[in-house]
Amino acid sequence: MENIFEIRDLDLYYGTNQALKKISMDIHRNEVTAFIGPSGCGKSTFLRCFNRMNDLIPDCRIEGKMTMNDTDIMSSKVNVVDLRTRVGMVFQKPNPFPMSIYDNVAYGLRCQNIKDKKVLDQIVTQSLKKAALWEEVKDRLNENAYKLSGGQQQRLCIARAISMEPDVILMDEPTSALDPIATSKIEDLIQELKRDYTIIIVTHSMQQAARVSDYTAFFLLGEVIEFNTTKVLFQIPSDKRTEDYITGRFG
Amino acid sequence: MKVTETMIKKRKVKDRVLQTVTLISSSISVMILIMLFFFIFQKGAGSLSFKLLTDDYWAKNYLLDIPSVQTGTYVKPANLPSASFWSVKYGFAVTDALSHEKQKLILIEYIDPASPLAKMTDASSGPNFGKAQLISVGMQIHKIGYVDINGDTRSAGTIADQNAKTLVDTLDSSALTLNQAYIKTTGGGIRGSIVSTFYLILISLLLAVPIGIMTAIYLNEYAKYNRFTPWLRSSIEMLTGVPSITYGLMGMVVLYPVTALFKASGTSILLGGLTLSVILLPTVIRSTEEALKVVPDNFRDASLSLGANQAQTIFRIVLPSAIPGILSAILLSLGRIIGESAALIYTMGTFVNDSPTVLTGGTSLAVHIWSLMSGEQPNFALASAISIIILIIVLILNISVKLLSGRLRKTWQ
Repeated sequence: MENIFEIRDLDLYYGTNQALKKISMDIHRNEVTAFIGPSGCGKSTFLRCFNRMNDLIPDCRIEGKMTMNDTDIMSSKVNVVDLRTRVGMVFQKPNPFPMSIYDNVAYGLRCQNIKDKKVLDQIVTQSLKKAALWEEVKDRLNENAYKLSGGQQQRLCIARAISMEPDVILMDEPTSALDPIATSKIEDLIQELKRDYTIIIVTHSMQQAARVSDYTAFFLLGEVIEFNTTKVLFQIPSDKRTEDYITGRFG
Repeated sequence: MKVTETMIKKRKVKDRVLQTVTLISSSISVMILIMLFFFIFQKGAGSLSFKLLTDDYWAKNYLLDIPSVQTGTYVKPANLPSASFWSVKYGFAVTDALSHEKQKLILIEYIDPASPLAKMTDASSGPNFGKAQLISVGMQIHKIGYVDINGDTRSAGTIADQNAKTLVDTLDSSALTLNQAYIKTTGGGIRGSIVSTFYLILISLLLAVPIGIMTAIYLNEYAKYNRFTPWLRSSIEMLTGVPSITYGLMGMVVLYPVTALFKASGTSILLGGLTLSVILLPTVIRSTEEALKVVPDNFRDASLSLGANQAQTIFRIVLPSAIPGILSAILLSLGRIIGESAALIYTMGTFVNDSPTVLTGGTSLAVHIWSLMSGEQPNFALASAISIIILIIVLILNISVKLLSGRLRKTWQ
């Protein structure tokens, strides 16, 4: 099993408030890793470390080590823009840009100054196909993305992330704003995408974690309480707090 | 605690009273507005005409020699209006009229091609002396000099307190020959001020809008968490409260050297535009910032997570989403430009200029009103007419910006 990310003793502070405490874990390539835990436990904050989105927050300070393919990505020398092309992200609320479906998917490429229409066409088609959206939108690529349903919008956001051909896709509660049918479509999609990408997903739903992930980490108050294969974590949790949480006694 | 009958009643009364107070207040404000419009329209509608928009403000004067060959009787054309008077001896028709300043005028209605008045030459010394000067319908006859039976030179026209009928009667009955005419255009139009206003809008928007938008972007996007940003922001806010006459004084002193670089001397539309753009800046910055603030953060996150840098995120995603807000900032500015007068009096001058250029002085429509009303004989009717025109321009701009921003909102959301 090959590790794509290795995290050692990662601390994260908002001003004087410590949000993440001594986190260490390995993320395996081409597997789905889920982060679960009650609200405010730091799982989303941790997720945003992987593509350095916490850089945007003032007073946010990170200590410790996080490597991707053996290069330190917390270092100030890392080209953040470049890192984000390799680590894509899908957000909680579907957030397509207010432009056409085509332009949404082509946005990241255009920002990289790729302007060749043929290349763009090809990647847009490919990305939409991979995101299982192609059949639904192939005849209306020039329509505004906001005409799509919520579930379609979220798959469009996934297609948009895929268009950059990243190694990793981060998903921050990608189905929390969707209905059950749209949710199951996204979950199926995650299983598909696993073949080509490493996926890290934050979720509120334990059932979802159990369904889609290979590894699960349970977060509580900024700490990783338990990190194991999903099977083991859900069936024979080693920590009392994990057990309490997954059996619904709190959270 | 038990709710008693009197408590319920008390509550009801209180509710009623508050409702009535709000109703009365709103009807008062609407009434005042309606009265204002009614008053302006009643006073100004009479002076309103298309000619007002296209005419010069200052009358043009012509001193003309009348050719000595003046024989004949002329046939009155059939299609002359009944209110006009025909001179059989000299072949022209005149009517009575009132100027924009409500002064009595004698206007030329028709000139026979063979009439001596159709072949007059310029009598004022200068390069045009002796050249033929055509007189057109609509000009006013101020004076026509003639020689009577006794050989004395006399004057007819408004200069001799005559009207159209007495002018024609005098010339037909007692003039042997005509020698000189003093003809004027009517004037009183506001074409120059309209042109000046548009120059002013152009200059001040061209300067204030790009600078204001860039400043807002810096404050809201780049320097969001900078320690100086709150200071900068509150000082900008303070600037909105500075009276515009202060800006006018500042423009006169500080900005004048800038216009001097462009070889403008004294007051000029450029100086007025520069001063106004300074006045507009805080408004543009504030409203653009508000527009940027409401752009959802998840657009920024999405763009950055796709490997776009900050400049790309701002100019490809954030700014286009803020355009409707920015347009309303421009609309606010337009209203301010059209309505401003105090700051322009020192910087653009109060002399109504019929052929304004960027580097010469002129009056905006609002200053034109000021200049009409501050004279010895305030012309309230014309001032009201200009007010109506300002209202119409503001209305048109308002509607067009609304339509435009509605359109953009549709394509962007």
